[in-house]
Amino acid sequence: MEEKFIVNIIHRPEMVPEYSATVTGQGKEEDIGDEKLLTESLDIFKTQQRLAHENGLKTTIQMTYASLFNDEAVELAKHDHEVYGDEIALSLLGLPCEEFREKYHTKDFCIWMFSMEDKKAIVRDVFGKFYDRFGFWPESTGSYYMDADLINFIKAEYPTVKCAVATCWEEGPKAYHTCNNSWYTLFDGGPWAPWIPSKQNTHAPAANEAEDSGIVAIPHLSRDLIACYDGNGSNFGTHPQNVLRGMIYDSKTWEFPYLYNLIDQYRALAKYNNGYAYNMMFVGPGWMNKMGRWEAPYELLYKSYSEGCKYYGDLKKAGKLCDMTMSEFADYYREKKGYTEPECALWRDILYGSDKQLFWYCDPFMRACVNMDQGGAIVDLRPYAAKLEWPVGIGTKHVQDASYPFLIQEKYRAGYFTHYAGEGTVRSAKLSYKGEEVDLCLTPTKAHFSQEGNTRILTLDPVTIEFRNLTVKLQTREYFEEGSSSIKIERTILEMSDPTAEVTLNEYMVACYGTTEYPEDMTCITLKADEKEIRYEYKCREEAVAGAGEVSAVIPAIETRVSMTQTGGAEGYIKEGYAFSPMFTLGYRKQIKDKEVFATWLNLQKAN
Amino acid sequence: MAQLTKGKLNYRCPSCFMRDLDIDMFYNKETGIYSCIRCQYRGTEEDVLAKNEMVRFRYGAMHKRFTKFDFDED
Ligand SMILES: [Zn+2]
Repeated sequence: MEEKFIVNIIHRPEMVPEYSATVTGQGKEEDIGDEKLLTESLDIFKTQQRLAHENGLKTTIQMTYASLFNDEAVELAKHDHEVYGDEIALSLLGLPCEEFREKYHTKDFCIWMFSMEDKKAIVRDVFGKFYDRFGFWPESTGSYYMDADLINFIKAEYPTVKCAVATCWEEGPKAYHTCNNSWYTLFDGGPWAPWIPSKQNTHAPAANEAEDSGIVAIPHLSRDLIACYDGNGSNFGTHPQNVLRGMIYDSKTWEFPYLYNLIDQYRALAKYNNGYAYNMMFVGPGWMNKMGRWEAPYELLYKSYSEGCKYYGDLKKAGKLCDMTMSEFADYYREKKGYTEPECALWRDILYGSDKQLFWYCDPFMRACVNMDQGGAIVDLRPYAAKLEWPVGIGTKHVQDASYPFLIQEKYRAGYFTHYAGEGTVRSAKLSYKGEEVDLCLTPTKAHFSQEGNTRILTLDPVTIEFRNLTVKLQTREYFEEGSSSIKIERTILEMSDPTAEVTLNEYMVACYGTTEYPEDMTCITLKADEKEIRYEYKCREEAVAGAGEVSAVIPAIETRVSMTQTGGAEGYIKEGYAFSPMFTLGYRKQIKDKEVFATWLNLQKAN
Repeated sequence: MAQLTKGKLNYRCPSCFMRDLDIDMFYNKETGIYSCIRCQYRGTEEDVLAKNEMVRFRYGAMHKRFTKFDFDED
């Protein structure tokens, strides 16, 4: 298969860089019209453009509102478009400037947080100004996050727009926390690689033409799919200065092989996506400040960006990379990918030296994370099947919180390990024999990817479970059938030290719902095992049905119905939680013998 | 006591960094000490730099260049 690795390099002439006012300008009164600041910001933009061009790379220039008032910035964009083929696009970042403040009387600057009325006014204003300066409408736009209402409005008013930077992967409570709870980019739960957003919810990809928002979305930065899930997202992305922020460089030699490992691991994802892989690099000028950033002096900032560009440039020269503008990429993507084709990433640790491995899966019905270090347990699950309408910004129920809700999130809801009591969210299995019990979360392994027809398959290396008087060798396979809105998990008993023994296999999922670290009201939930029902009241109840066809939970707060079904012969059960363990459990228990195979499905649907 | 100012670079608190908090420290010109306003860390530039080496302990593969990203047999 021919492989194609694409990079989008994006620069924005931001006249008042984020951070300049609060950090580098500390000790001065705020003055966003400061002449020196404007000159310096434009100089950084010029430097970034030069570094890309010197390495034979074209860029997408995302003009900011402020830069549209600056003749030099406009001329630079026109020049680089003529000479290098750069795309002139329009960013919704970088709104702050004197003109904006005078008009809108606010210091807000994140487009998704304004009221819908203001969003419309600002978009019309910014797009109109762009047209005045360039004489055409832009084809690409973006921000750190673009909510569905905003995208739908832009597409309706400015149909030329076909590409947008629309989310920043797992930039949610963890990023908020890293900034001492002062950086309000709360949008966990989206895709890490380009997708076509649905009209209902930006995070959830469109399943068909009717749901298609009309744009191709790209993430803000290509991020480390292990490190960013666990720690501060802004330390681990293809933004060379992320790597400096994370202090992931040798302080003596200023070497940072991690950046290249990250880029190369993204290249390697072509193997799981029909030969296609993607990267984006998008560095605002604030990060190349002459005064240095964090512990890094300007020389190191410059080196990191210059060498980052060189790495991409060298890949291009070697025929291993194709640089595109955003709008070129949107055309390519529409040609290459169908609506239900998933994005897959089998990802290994390239930073901590742990050999841990995760599998990320994203399609119009779900985003799921499988953790091989926990025996193939599902440790994160977002039910996109619900296509949850979730307006954000002033005047809505969620002014800041734009995350797509989870059913399972091992970092915010404990996962396998809990303190003293209760349970955390995870989809795993337990084996028990004569009073002993082992959870597969304690059986680290590795996975191999394959594809049969429309099904992506993870085959895990067999694991050995040792009871006092019995050893069991078990293998797990997980099947993701395109368009099915289900995950099939199959367990095979390969070997038992006593071939006549029987063990109990308990396939279970512990779940709840939420977008943050804190519990939500669970009393809206109804659990069912065939006809038996529990309405959630934190009473620690349980029901079981022999041979149950289905066990399910309906969660009206996120319009989601989640169920488990089985190949047969098992007892289905449902468990309510209690106040100290605000979870519910769905599961199947079955007696299982040597060489036996048992499978269950986890199914997601919209509940109206 | 003199007021605190920004140092020559934005040194972050190494103690807070280790718990995933980015907090700029402020500098006392008279004593040459950087201090964190969130936690109780304080130290000279030399101490900050030494602690910044320590915070890298978690990056066990920081110096390694990877060429293989799966665990398949080739
Ligand atoms: Zn501190």
